[in-house]
Amino acid sequence: MDHEAAQLEKQHVHDVYESTARYLSDLQGKAWPRVRQFLQDQEPGSLIADIGCGTGKYLKVNSQVHSLGCDYCGPLVEIARSRGCEVMVCDNLNLPFRDQGFDAIISIGVIHHFSTKQRRIRAIKEMARVLVPGGQLMIYVWAMEQKNRHFEKQDVLVPWNRALCSRLLSESSQPGRKKQCGHLERSHPYHPPCSVCSCSVCFKERRDSKRSHSVDDEPVRARTCCANISKEAGGGNGFYNTLGKSFRSWFCSRSLDESGLRKQIERVRPLKNTEGWATSTISIQPSRHSSVDRDPQEPFSTREPSSDEDVFVESSQKHLEWLRAPATGKHLRGDRQGETGRSGGGDCLGSTHTQEECAAAGALGEGKPSARRALRRVSTVDSTDSIPDDTIPVEGQQPDVWDSRAFMRYYHVFREGELCGLLRENVSELHILSSGNDHGNWCIIAEKKETCG
Amino acid sequence: MKLLTHNLLSSHVRGVGPRGFPLRLEATEVRVIPVEFNPDFVARMIPKVEWAALLEAADHLRLAEVPKGPTQGYEQDETFLRKMHHVLLEVEVVEGTLQCPESGRVFPITRGIPNMLLNEEETET
Repeated sequence: MDHEAAQLEKQHVHDVYESTARYLSDLQGKAWPRVRQFLQDQEPGSLIADIGCGTGKYLKVNSQVHSLGCDYCGPLVEIARSRGCEVMVCDNLNLPFRDQGFDAIISIGVIHHFSTKQRRIRAIKEMARVLVPGGQLMIYVWAMEQKNRHFEKQDVLVPWNRALCSRLLSESSQPGRKKQCGHLERSHPYHPPCSVCSCSVCFKERRDSKRSHSVDDEPVRARTCCANISKEAGGGNGFYNTLGKSFRSWFCSRSLDESGLRKQIERVRPLKNTEGWATSTISIQPSRHSSVDRDPQEPFSTREPSSDEDVFVESSQKHLEWLRAPATGKHLRGDRQGETGRSGGGDCLGSTHTQEECAAAGALGEGKPSARRALRRVSTVDSTDSIPDDTIPVEGQQPDVWDSRAFMRYYHVFREGELCGLLRENVSELHILSSGNDHGNWCIIAEKKETCG
Repeated sequence: MKLLTHNLLSSHVRGVGPRGFPLRLEATEVRVIPVEFNPDFVARMIPKVEWAALLEAADHLRLAEVPKGPTQGYEQDETFLRKMHHVLLEVEVVEGTLQCPESGRVFPITRGIPNMLLNEEETET
């Protein structure tokens, strides 16, 4: 069982991060506020370990402490090293440290990559072992319960679009683009289909969310919903109908179903060694997913987001606004041009989209180059979640296109209370100080109990 | 890899346990990278240092002027603190090896990064 678990993790965690690491270097994000706070709360002179540090974004948050980053992925560690961080390559399950060396440890978006309960426990116990008594451990894992989405199962494979990353990378080097890429690496999934129209970009339900600052600030836009757009587009200008099929399905994911996606996945990346594993317990996650903790795939925005959801919502809003008035050249040329440094040229929507969309972009008439850019922008926004891949219909899609882009990452998403339960029942050396939900993650801060004698 | 990091490292080869510490350090390339001196920071590190391991590593790197242990009132002893600052934080092993004293297993240090991964056979079950 452990060998199979290791194999699954090799194929759907380690190999994926290794292959995609080089695309992450330019897509650095800032640290999550609560993790930042935890690090800044540590005493000056503390020794801190970031187990699963990725490119090292947390390693320089507090200059008064000495931070050591560890990751299984060599390429990610190299990136962290190039930023001047003290790092090493190692395995969470076998930490190469003496007992009780660290004053604090963080584990952000790591434990959910272990494919068995025993391995998850072992990873946590290892971290407890190398903590000093009284030292604190912070753990973040993906939550199964998301505000507006639903995971089919707890064990999921999440696609990653590599071509997208390289496109994001090249776009990010354009002037004016760069700062927008300095976004936080988030570890929570994006919006699910809303109850009204299964639209992935619908933010109708987010109006009440405290975090949706942009929605609150702009009530007019907040009322916009995909349903409205469908109506308008279908009836009036027919714009919606001119969009390619796969592009339409980005807006309304009704055309997508899990079995369709699974067929695609299995055609292209059969889980050879893990077949028994995968078919029984793991579901292919069709929903839009932000990449994870260490994946700084942020949608682009003109301003620094306070959260992923805000950014996504804001970008969606802008796009929806644009959709409503496609003929308004002024709007098209609005902030889109400032944001995209690229000239129109022959650039289309990137290789994940068909010629259909390019034609559709062209068909918009006035403000054509901007439109194309705007369309591309939109596609990159959701494409950070590999949405275009998810929404490309099974029929008519070339397998090799899919093949070269899909890197499926394994996650065990946690139910509410599961992480706490895991610690309480299996890691008696840790005492839970606090727990909660942060941006779609279950988080815990635990303390190593003082040893007696 | 800094010597402060080395001071935390231990071999996790199956069966080795606490005898896997400290790792025997050899270096083929060492650099000195200046780091801003923060006396409070260094003073707080001192109680955490495993001295024998530090001295052994410093010796292998042929470092001079390494204090043999904390001096009386070291928190205010700037000379002492500056030396410790240098030894712990400014000496970087760029290329080298770390060897488990019990099993003999060698871990490489490449471009300043130790690679502590073991094969499945070597790890604890």
